Amino acid sequence: MQASRARLFKEYKEVQREKAVDPDIQLVCDDSNIFKWTALIKGPSETPYEGGVFQLAFAVPEQYPLQPPQVRFLTKIFHPNVHFKTGEICLDILKNAWSPAWTLQSVCRAIIALMAHPEPDSPLNCDSGNLLRSGDVRGFQSMARMYTRLAAMPKKG
Amino acid sequence: MEDDYFSSDDDYQCSDQESMEDFEEPDFKLVTAKGPTTQVITKESLLVAQKEDLRKVMDMLSVREHHARTLLIYHRWDVEKLFSVYVDRGKAFLFAEAGVTVDEHRASDSSLSSSIMCDICMEDVPSDESTRMDCGHCFCNNCWTEHFIVKINEGQSKRIRCMAHKCNAICDEAVVRTLVSKKQPDMAEKFERFLLESYIEDNKRVKWCPSTPHCGNAIRIEDDQLCEVECSCGLQFCFSCLSEAHSPCSCLMWELWAKKCRDESETVNWMTVHTKPCPKCHKPVEKNGGCNLVSCICGQAFCWHCGGATGREHTWTSIANHSCGRYKEDQEKKSERAKRDLYRYMHYHNRYKAHTDSFKLESKLKETIQEKVAISEGKDSKVRDYSWVNNGLGRLFRSRRILSYSYAFAFYMFGDELFKDEMTEKEREIKQHLFEDQQQQLESNVERLSKILEEPFDQFADSKIMEIRMQVINASVIIDNLCQKMYECIENDLLGCLQLGTHSIAPYKSKGIERASELQVCWTNKANDTGGTEEVDRPSGSGSSDESGYPSRKRARKDDIGVGLFDLNLPAAEVVDRN
Ligand SMILES: [Zn+2]
Ligand SMILES: [Zn+2]
Ligand SMILES: [Zn+2]
Ligand SMILES: [Zn+2]
Ligand SMILES: [Zn+2]
Ligand SMILES: [Zn+2]
Ligand SMILES: [Zn+2]
Repeated sequence: MQASRARLFKEYKEVQREKAVDPDIQLVCDDSNIFKWTALIKGPSETPYEGGVFQLAFAVPEQYPLQPPQVRFLTKIFHPNVHFKTGEICLDILKNAWSPAWTLQSVCRAIIALMAHPEPDSPLNCDSGNLLRSGDVRGFQSMARMYTRLAAMPKKG
Repeated sequence: MEDDYFSSDDDYQCSDQESMEDFEEPDFKLVTAKGPTTQVITKESLLVAQKEDLRKVMDMLSVREHHARTLLIYHRWDVEKLFSVYVDRGKAFLFAEAGVTVDEHRASDSSLSSSIMCDICMEDVPSDESTRMDCGHCFCNNCWTEHFIVKINEGQSKRIRCMAHKCNAICDEAVVRTLVSKKQPDMAEKFERFLLESYIEDNKRVKWCPSTPHCGNAIRIEDDQLCEVECSCGLQFCFSCLSEAHSPCSCLMWELWAKKCRDESETVNWMTVHTKPCPKCHKPVEKNGGCNLVSCICGQAFCWHCGGATGREHTWTSIANHSCGRYKEDQEKKSERAKRDLYRYMHYHNRYKAHTDSFKLESKLKETIQEKVAISEGKDSKVRDYSWVNNGLGRLFRSRRILSYSYAFAFYMFGDELFKDEMTEKEREIKQHLFEDQQQQLESNVERLSKILEEPFDQFADSKIMEIRMQVINASVIIDNLCQKMYECIENDLLGCLQLGTHSIAPYKSKGIERASELQVCWTNKANDTGGTEEVDRPSGSGSSDESGYPSRKRARKDDIGVGLFDLNLPAAEVVDRN
């Protein structure tokens, strides 16, 4: 437990330094609980998520970094590997491919990569997975864009 | 060669007096050409058992033990498969696939600086408090230790990966051992046990004995996974499905049959055919007589067809104010079918049960027969040898079991459940007749043998005893042949013809299920413990067997015979307790 706290503290300091380096990711630690983090990530360009800002919630286990953090989307997103209701993410590095060498920051980067390259074969969102698998890329993109506009962009007016 | 040997058993059928010694113990002539091919692995011999395989891989690939273990665990302790991957795909592939890195990075750069930055805790740590794995990744000892403990707790002892991202390498077990035991000795022990037991758990040739309470043993087989084995604790079981030995039933058939007998599904079936719940009090009500108006003891009358409550006014065909008849036809067909199925099941189950029951009774017979033998041996008589009695008894037990299982087999072989589309009605009929013929022959001979063995031979004169002895021996030989034929028929003419099914049965063992021999702790060579009979040659270069004073061929053979006398369900006390 001590180890995870120490490590998270190191990451916290690292994040402060890296802010300028990676403008797409904004990691914030909960004021009162170092095991709770949130992140704002920018939808990658040339994807239906472009222009959106998505919020992620991190729950870090005491065994961290030996065990992966739990991450989910707080912002609604239409993506084959994200559960539409709960925001759970299906990503190998958050499960069996986790390595203690990952950081919260690098997890965010991996999630951005997943947004740009969905894996329709392990869908948490079946509708979206089916659209992609059936080759209906346009159908998928317009749905995803619609949700980005509805949920991940500042309301106009 | 072996074929000649076997085909000569038919000769036993002759019964001239002087060659009697030849078929005195026909069983022993039939001792399978191979000795026991199954071995018991006890807690004590577990280490030895895996050392053998480790040694082979270490020698062949010139690698250290922990690499050999990683490779073997990856290939589920299948040395042959491991070698074939090595030959087909090469060493680099074999190693990479299993997560073995043998390039030594150790000395390379650790000497450059006195401290390293650990990527896990993000601290600077002195080099001597860090460890570099074979893959080259270096982290501090603290982080490694924590990582190992988490993985051991997760039950992943056998394949603990390096902490670096995307590094497939498996951590050196020696490092795990040292680091973990410094912090948590009990955890290190757990790790050790997991590693050791991997030999059993990840090995397709080895399975835990399913005894309860567990005897602590595992059984290793040589090649054919479809076989029945006997552990040194006395339990006989089917190696492939781990339930009781059940040939000539296939595993699936046995599973279905056991479930069918266990569940009350048939009773439930009966209930649905013969009873209906009362619409008022919900108790099952039996229909008696042909009238479709039934009444419950609670006084409620209802319609048998739809189960709906009715008045009491009725005729044979109609009930006042009630006209359903909707499901009438369907319902009748369904219950007709259920009834037919039930009768069919009862037919087979009764016979199955009759034989298992006789088997239990006959087990008691064993004691009285021993008494009779003791009395006879005490008498001043020319007949000295009574081994034929025990041989006959053994034969009776074995064939009795086969007979009972053959009914479960027939139930599925000729029923609709498994092979409905495999045979035409006509075909099925022919095959069923063929099989039932054999079954009946076997049955009548088994009953005959059972009768003869019950004779009070201890009160007979010598000549009468010799006659009984002849009868027992003859019946035994005939039964043995019939059993053999039945297995052949099942394998070749019945199961062998199936298109879709993948049913197969354990081979017939005239002598009964072979008791696994104990893996001797000081044996290094497998060829040795098989009773000295022609064992498959092992190209492992261990031809010069290490006969460290262990049972000579003769002794092993003699023991074999000793066990042969009683070998059904009664283990001779052959296994040395090595605790
Ligand atoms: Zn560290
Ligand atoms: Zn590594
Ligand atoms: Zn056992
Ligand atoms: Zn089985
Ligand atoms: Zn009632
Ligand atoms: Zn009536
Ligand atoms: Zn009715």
